[in-house]
Amino acid sequence: MKINLLAIACLLNTYVLCQESPDPGFVRENYTKMDTNIPMRDGIKLYTVIYMPKNESEKYPFLMERTPYSSAPYGENNYAGRIGPNTNLMKEEYIFVYQDVRGRYMSEGVNLEVTPFIPGKKNAKEVDESSDTYDTVDWLLKNIKNNNGRVGLYGISYPGFYATACLPDAHPAIKAVSPQAPVTDEFIGDDANHNGAFFLLDNFDFMNYFGKERSGPIKDYGSQVFAVKTPDVFNFFLNLGPLKNTQSPKYFNRRSYIWNEYLQHDTYDHYWKSRNIRPYLKNIQVPVMVIGGWFDAEDLFGALHTYEAIEQQSPLNNNYLVMGPWTHGAWAGSVWDKFGTYNYTTNINKYFQDSLETKFFNYYLKDKGNFNASEATVFETGTNEWRHFNKWPPANIIYTEYYTGSNKNLSSEKKINQSGFEEYVSDPGNPVPYTNGIYSHRNNEYMVEDQRFAESRKDVLAYETGTLNNDVTVAGKITADLFVSTTSTDADFVVKVIDVLPDNETSPGGASRDVTMAGYQRLVRAEVMRGKFRNNYENPEPFVPGKISEVKINLNDVCHTFKKGHKIMLQIQSSWFPLVDRNPQKFMRIPDAHEKDFQKATIRIYHDTDHVSKIILPVLQQ
Amino acid sequence: MKKISLFIIIVFISFVSFSQNADSAWLVNNYTKMERYITMRDGVRLFTSIYTPKDKTEKHPILMTRTPYSCAPYGESNWIDFWNSYEMAYFKEGYTIVIQDVRGRWMSEDEFVNVRPFNAAKKTKKDIDEASDTYDTIDWLVKNISNNNGNVGVFGISYPGFYSTMAAASNHPALKAVSPQAPVTNWFIGDDFHHNGVFFQMDAFDFYAALGFGFGQPHTKPTSVPARSVGYPVHDNYKFFLENGSLKNLTKYTGDTIAFWKDLMSHPNYDAWWKARDARNATKNLQPAMLWVGGQFDAEDCWGAWNAYKAAEQNNPGKEFNKIVEGPWYHTQWSNHDGTHHGNIQFGSNTSEYYQQHFEIPFFNYFLKGKGDISQIAEANIFLTGANEWKTFSQWPPSNKEDKTMYLQPGGKLDWLKPTAGNSFSEYTSDPGKPVPYEEFVHFNRTRTYMSDDQRFAARRPDVLVFQTDTLTNDVTITGNVTADLVTSISSTDADFVMKVIDVFPDNLGYNNVNIYAEKDPQKIDPMGGYQMLVRAEIMRGKFRNSLENPEPFTPDKITEVKWELPDVAHTFLKGHRIMIQIQSSWFPLADRNPQKFMDIYKADDSDFQKANIRIYHDASNQSKIILPVLKN
Repeated sequence: MKINLLAIACLLNTYVLCQESPDPGFVRENYTKMDTNIPMRDGIKLYTVIYMPKNESEKYPFLMERTPYSSAPYGENNYAGRIGPNTNLMKEEYIFVYQDVRGRYMSEGVNLEVTPFIPGKKNAKEVDESSDTYDTVDWLLKNIKNNNGRVGLYGISYPGFYATACLPDAHPAIKAVSPQAPVTDEFIGDDANHNGAFFLLDNFDFMNYFGKERSGPIKDYGSQVFAVKTPDVFNFFLNLGPLKNTQSPKYFNRRSYIWNEYLQHDTYDHYWKSRNIRPYLKNIQVPVMVIGGWFDAEDLFGALHTYEAIEQQSPLNNNYLVMGPWTHGAWAGSVWDKFGTYNYTTNINKYFQDSLETKFFNYYLKDKGNFNASEATVFETGTNEWRHFNKWPPANIIYTEYYTGSNKNLSSEKKINQSGFEEYVSDPGNPVPYTNGIYSHRNNEYMVEDQRFAESRKDVLAYETGTLNNDVTVAGKITADLFVSTTSTDADFVVKVIDVLPDNETSPGGASRDVTMAGYQRLVRAEVMRGKFRNNYENPEPFVPGKISEVKINLNDVCHTFKKGHKIMLQIQSSWFPLVDRNPQKFMRIPDAHEKDFQKATIRIYHDTDHVSKIILPVLQQ
Repeated sequence: MKKISLFIIIVFISFVSFSQNADSAWLVNNYTKMERYITMRDGVRLFTSIYTPKDKTEKHPILMTRTPYSCAPYGESNWIDFWNSYEMAYFKEGYTIVIQDVRGRWMSEDEFVNVRPFNAAKKTKKDIDEASDTYDTIDWLVKNISNNNGNVGVFGISYPGFYSTMAAASNHPALKAVSPQAPVTNWFIGDDFHHNGVFFQMDAFDFYAALGFGFGQPHTKPTSVPARSVGYPVHDNYKFFLENGSLKNLTKYTGDTIAFWKDLMSHPNYDAWWKARDARNATKNLQPAMLWVGGQFDAEDCWGAWNAYKAAEQNNPGKEFNKIVEGPWYHTQWSNHDGTHHGNIQFGSNTSEYYQQHFEIPFFNYFLKGKGDISQIAEANIFLTGANEWKTFSQWPPSNKEDKTMYLQPGGKLDWLKPTAGNSFSEYTSDPGKPVPYEEFVHFNRTRTYMSDDQRFAARRPDVLVFQTDTLTNDVTITGNVTADLVTSISSTDADFVMKVIDVFPDNLGYNNVNIYAEKDPQKIDPMGGYQMLVRAEIMRGKFRNSLENPEPFTPDKITEVKWELPDVAHTFLKGHRIMIQIQSSWFPLADRNPQKFMDIYKADDSDFQKANIRIYHDASNQSKIILPVLKN
């Protein structure tokens, strides 16, 4: 959802990913631009920008992005530097359509956060993103000349949600949809919350922009709700104190409607459930290609689970998954060949754009060429190779349990007559940082970052396997199954799956900060669970102090090879700050917590025979 | 200690043949290189490399460095690449430059003795020390180098700084000027391998065994070939030393051959053996003009420069020229080209170049050539970090400094006022299994910037205590020693205490117009806003709190005072900044881990290491404090 940074920067034409255009005059030379207001069934008009190829010798399909981030530049004489999902498609020529969604920027109506889908609409007053897309498509087919009767939709992040949202009750002219990092479930796994834990850093930043109210259609929302600048977000949020302080006069002060909603809905209630579109992705007929990034800090969950929901509920549909080693939206740029300390050596984006994205739309919208992608085209990190599977997760995986034990041990062999636990004090006054180093914003590399800084802390537990004798490829979902106790009534649990590089790994020259790669603890996947939601997201339950409880945590899928000579490490901690807000470690409505509610807790992670904490890895059989 | 070896050897080996320029052609055309064995009074011959000017129109002075790091490259046609160094200035002035392998190293004969004790009462020709070797060498040089003007100078950095101190003690009448620079002075109290008795295991192990070209390996005969080092099996220094466990295990790597390692392990306290190796013993009755040079961020011999100067000052009352230069430098930085910054801290000018042109070259020219003017060299010439300016003082510490006490307060505050609370303390658990890292990121080698690096990473740990002042409304300049004076209790019988004095920058500070709010940090430039710049830190091994000679256990949970002095500092905390201190009980792997059990730590087993709860008191009756040497305006 942080696409705002991308989107806004795009608008200002400063972001490398979007501004890049081999020929800045291309759009003006080859397209005619039209700005128009399209009426919806309830009379509300949506501001729509249409780029039509000047060459009228053939008929074209539509390719549309519906966005809450503005369809700027506004005005028929103002052209975007680049249009469409990639430059190939821009040159292919489509009728490109951008629309401000209901209630945002130049469109009329009221915006709802992640608009709930209304099944079985009864009258023209019942509108949602599906009906708005339907009405827009209907208007386009009838009013834009030279169209071939087909429409495709795409979008990244929030626009990814709007792409998904056209699928239930889709207009029959919609023939291809590509939700890319689509916002899907904001309580369980995308952006705002993961397993009910509040993503403070991103939400605070985003809703300062996105949650601002407007009185009517507007080209520019102006300044953010409040001005804030800090060189060091860790320090800033620690000093800010409890979540309720964000509503102080200096900050939101109840001026951001979505922020108010977030603080109000601290469980998986109707507000959140109605915003989960997955149940409605039934009997989808439209070919779909879902795109996601393994290192997407915002909507990795959404990509994986949108694909999964369609697959499970529309099994006959042409439903494709592409997962690459990308950050949020990184596949839209021209070059992606390295990230963090990963070096892919080739341009991942060229393959994606040329062989997947362009061919998908050309085939389904223009009958041009062929599209023979595998069901799942997945980049395997660790070996840095594309893999092709006819099913995701792959059929030939074995869910393998790795048990924690004494002396930092992690092993796939279950020990009998094992006893004991490890413990740490989790102090909300001294939370575990989610990243090493000082940042004025979220460190986009945290998902692949070296975790040695965390291992050296007393409030982080680490377990590791022996040196691997063979490559171990993990493909699919990871589950952590912990047996815990705490001295208080609530706690967070963060589990991190880590690839430990060999002690003699060489460091590439010129590495910034001269960090040694020997023994590097590369984060592969991590997830947080707010303990009170361990059994139920709707009805949180306190812990009984000192009593052993099971906490199961689903981690997002990976496709990663732990190479021979490496080790697999599991780290467990109870804070991840300021990515996630601090749990006061007292069972309560956290948005109401006062400073005095925050308390230390001693947390135990058990590994005795009856309560052996473990992770379950989907090991691919080669 | 170590850096100089890497530096010199790398320079010698890799640059010699590659970097040629106009100066190199000039040098080869105008100088001659000779190699000679010079015979000492006991018959031992020391290998000596001599670069003399061809010019015979005037008589020339001699400038010498004695080194354990080799005068390589060997061979009269193989030259050191002086043309890449500021030292080229000495050649342009016509100096004869001499470099000698010290007794027992490289191509010199006999056995090497580390920090060989100074013998003030030599009786026979068999009684030699580094001072007598220098005397004999100077004597030979002035008698055998044609066209010399009878004036000799000696200088050197680090271990060669130690040999410079010893040269001064030779008091050969021809020796007119000596500049010991970052001189190794006391290896138990403050330089290189121990600070207040805490073993600086990483530097020691690097130097004697793992890296450092096998410095500790035996020298059985003269050789131009470096000894073999054992290397590191794990290229993550935190992990290596942690997994290695007790120091006994480290000794397994060094094997039986490294004699000095065994010496270190058998002298855990400040005994007579150590006292004999204090270079300050050689600072009495010094005849030559002395210019002591040190770096305030020198991770190796910061202590030695300040304290050898002070000893010479004390031991030679009324001596006309015994002066000190201290700049904002890492080990050897003053001899390099770039003195504009240390790590992320910028100085606003090239302090190295200023040092070379303003202090060192005029010093030797004046005393060895009778040329120029040295009135600009004050008694103490000190770069004030923070304010970023050179200051001169007529004594050090300055006469107008006043020791002012700052008190630790409840709630993480630091204030000039005394605490009034009853029974107030801060507490943490020190776990030798999870020691506090000395640096933010994991490296293979010890960084040379840790002494000014950002401490925010440590402030975030549960085992580091943080106390800070409000935003300063006036500049506060400190010049001299900071004293830490903590009232503690610990749950065990020993613990280490690290005191870090930190300058907290304002949130809006930035350097070089770097936009710290940029979405993507340009090449990870550190955000300087809120930066916690380490100004000075020092560790104290609790058992030595009353005496380095006679360690004493703590009584568990009994309130105990631990007081120690930090090396000198010259820093201005600017208005708008804050003064912060951090307290922690490990500094790893820089310092070895205290098992937190009173014992000879060199004999500790892995099983001896235990957690301890540490309390630092800040109430009306138990006042923990730091004493700052505040410069009055």
